[in-house]
Amino acid sequence: MKNNVLNIFILFFATFIVLESCSKESNVPESDPVAGMVKIASGYAAGAATYVNIYTKDSAFAGYNKLYIVLTDSITGNNIDNASVSLNPMMQMAMMSHSSPKENPASIAVNHVFEASVTFIMPSSGGTWTLKTNVFNNENGKQGVLNCTINVKPTTQQKLYSFISLSDNSSKYFVGIVEPSKPFVGINDCELVIYKKQSMMLFPADSSLTVVVTPEMPTMSHGSPNNINPVHIGNGHYKGKVNFTMTGFWRLNLTLKTGNTVSDSTNYIDLTF
Amino acid sequence: MKYFIQSLVCICFAGGLVARPLNDKDISDTIKPKELIPVKVYSLIKGANQPLVNFYIANKSATTEDILSRLPEMNMIRRGSYGMEPVLRSYSSGQTSLLIDGMRMHGACTDKMDPVSIYIEPQNLQSIQVQTTHGFHSGSVVGGSVNLKFATPTFNETSLFSGTVSSGYQSAANAVYHTGTFNYGTKRLALRTTVSYRNAQDYRSGGGVVIPFSQYQKINYGLSVKYALRNSWIAKTDILFDDGWNIGYPALPMDVGYAGARIVSLSMQNETGNNHFKQTEIKLYANSVRHYMDDSQRKNISIHMDMPGESNTYGAYIDSRLQFRNNTKINLKADITSTDLIASMTMYQSGQPPMFMLTWPDNRTMQSGIGATFIKQLDSTSGLAISTRADLFIKSLITQSAKDQLSVLNQPVSNVSRLLKNLSVQYNKTAGKKTKTTISVSYSERMPVSSELYGFYLFNANDGFDYIGNTNLVPENAINAEAGIVHKQTFFQLSLTGYATVIHQYITGVYQPTLSSMTIGANGVKSYQQIPRVFIAGVEAMIIAKPSSSLDLVSTSKFSYGKDYQNNPLPMIAPLKNTTSLRKIINKWAIQAETEWAFTQNRINPYSRETATQSYGIFNLRLMYDTPLLNNQLRVDTGIDNLLDNDYKEHLDWGRINRPGRNLYMQITLSF
Ligand SMILES: [Cu+2]
Repeated sequence: MKNNVLNIFILFFATFIVLESCSKESNVPESDPVAGMVKIASGYAAGAATYVNIYTKDSAFAGYNKLYIVLTDSITGNNIDNASVSLNPMMQMAMMSHSSPKENPASIAVNHVFEASVTFIMPSSGGTWTLKTNVFNNENGKQGVLNCTINVKPTTQQKLYSFISLSDNSSKYFVGIVEPSKPFVGINDCELVIYKKQSMMLFPADSSLTVVVTPEMPTMSHGSPNNINPVHIGNGHYKGKVNFTMTGFWRLNLTLKTGNTVSDSTNYIDLTF
Repeated sequence: MKYFIQSLVCICFAGGLVARPLNDKDISDTIKPKELIPVKVYSLIKGANQPLVNFYIANKSATTEDILSRLPEMNMIRRGSYGMEPVLRSYSSGQTSLLIDGMRMHGACTDKMDPVSIYIEPQNLQSIQVQTTHGFHSGSVVGGSVNLKFATPTFNETSLFSGTVSSGYQSAANAVYHTGTFNYGTKRLALRTTVSYRNAQDYRSGGGVVIPFSQYQKINYGLSVKYALRNSWIAKTDILFDDGWNIGYPALPMDVGYAGARIVSLSMQNETGNNHFKQTEIKLYANSVRHYMDDSQRKNISIHMDMPGESNTYGAYIDSRLQFRNNTKINLKADITSTDLIASMTMYQSGQPPMFMLTWPDNRTMQSGIGATFIKQLDSTSGLAISTRADLFIKSLITQSAKDQLSVLNQPVSNVSRLLKNLSVQYNKTAGKKTKTTISVSYSERMPVSSELYGFYLFNANDGFDYIGNTNLVPENAINAEAGIVHKQTFFQLSLTGYATVIHQYITGVYQPTLSSMTIGANGVKSYQQIPRVFIAGVEAMIIAKPSSSLDLVSTSKFSYGKDYQNNPLPMIAPLKNTTSLRKIINKWAIQAETEWAFTQNRINPYSRETATQSYGIFNLRLMYDTPLLNNQLRVDTGIDNLLDNDYKEHLDWGRINRPGRNLYMQITLSF
């Protein structure tokens, strides 16, 4: 009799445990790929039967911005994972207008997200930025365009700069920082983007420069050891390593060379963490 | 599992034995040929050897470090009037070990402001045990070890309460020292409690210059309880707390707001022993140190900083002395410890976010070791002691941020595990009952310490370089030879010890021209590297004379010599130093005259930016009065240190700062 009572207890607890573990599994939510991000543009791409949402990790700023684009079918609300998206940022100023460097996404979404970038070369205070998003929905074969005004904030620290190359005194380049996006004390990825200004509308990626990064804490005038200078890895991206020995305000002093000639050595990008 | 197998290897490796300590009593009475001397014991309790005790505790308000500095084997690195770092012979603190009643304990300061001896007051102590390069009872060391052995409560058949209270003043630092010791003993239970308070202002150096930032203040309280169980075991617990505030370090750019230690232990001791086990002690212990360094009091500093540090140690050991019939003794010790160290630096500049980094990236040292000493009396005049020990060390970085930060130095951040091996052989021979000669040779290894492995831009104010650790370091190893002779006549005793050591893979800071320093104004960066070898040798001599029953003379001299493989002098080597004390007892009075002098040190290390130190000599005069008062005993100690108010410094004093000038002191002690 006692044994039976014991068995019932064991069975009861075992069932409880199994149920508990099952319910835990089923409760795991599908992770939202854009959770916590800032929506900077949204609307129908008229004609493509597609609703467009564009996110950034933080508000759009003057510098290299990663854009996360989510497309949904405007009727079913289902995610569209196959589309050709092309971006055309445009700044309308008092006397003129110009575009900015950008990277269009691949046509297949990863986890329902199309990753792209725009390097806003100035903040909205100088005029009005609009982002024209052209969507060719490969799932229904339709095409449409969304036009949105974007508020590009100025940055408190320099994340982007331009220079006229000393080697030919004419070529203008834009340099922005991609990584470290979350700097920490240790070995950080150091990724820069460099674009050459070909016209007001064309900013092709550059692969011709040699980059030397010298990190420094200006308040203490010390650097850090064992940094690895970024080298071109494709599409104007240059990748290396930068080391931080403590938290605080760090300056990445940048020297760019064309061959052996210094093109620019007066500029920097700042970080504080 | 791997760890377990390595521990087994340790156990198998250790074959055999450290000898019983020999009291000073033994050398002053008759030379006992039966005893070997792997451990020299400097007793602090009265009676063991009156002239020596009085010599070591010259001044009743002496600190533990003052007492240590008078031992023949010791020198002190001075960074302030408090927190001096004991140096055994000329070995670095990483090459020697400083134990607290057999316990391992690590300071919490990256700048060595708190050698653990600062947390111990003389009234906590029964004796200081110095073990030089033969024998490894206290660990794998290449330069010997010092154990500060705690005083214990005493049992009493008639439930007796006794104690001392003492109060005193010193003029040079306008300092006070008050202390009390109380013992309550019954047949089975005994308690001892101590408390002491010190408060010193900036001291006046020879010639009258007041040294700013040389003040300190501290309180120390301890409780020890002993209980005799029915089966000849004694259970004992020791609790010791030490708190210091506002401690100035004039030779350093920073001071200490608070430095505190908590030491607790629980032990079981069996003294009578059955069969071969003569004595066994099992101890469990824990200690922790908190150290808060800052420069808030210093002027003209562009960036103020806080540098807190923490150390936490847990350990256990078993120590057994075995005796066998054929004049053979075996002493076995197994111990295990785990020490965690964390230290960081936060710098503040207005308008900027705080700058934070780890100076000791969070790290753990796991140590397990086993040692044995085998002692055999060969015949009536000679004996042999063989000592061996193996230690397994595993050092690791314990947080991801510690690993991330240290990886900036381009070094492996994985665990460092090393097996250390030690062996020493000692032979002694007594000739004509008057002269005892001891010779020993040893091979020893030592583990790199956490600062040497993981230190992150630790500023050394003495040479002005930032030091970075190196996780590729391997253990240092040393071959040591030591010979000692003790000759005793009716009215005097002479002892002479000579030693020579070659240390291979010697760890030292090497300038790295490609690295930029972190500390503003530093000379550059040095990284801990291993140089092929260094040579250290020295001589210690002691004369104890008793020309009449009321007259005692004690004179100690020490000299050491060090050079690296390129014949450069090693840094921080003290020159020849002599301390001589002459004491005359007249009834209840005793008068003691002392001289202390050291040669010039011109052998300086060019890479350490050392400078030569001038010779000096000082005189001290002391007067003691001891009388019964009602049922109690009253003792008055008074005197003058540095009678001639000479301005002087020793070679191991950092910052070229003069030592205290003329100091009048008086300490009144009542024993009941
Ligand atoms: Cu400190």
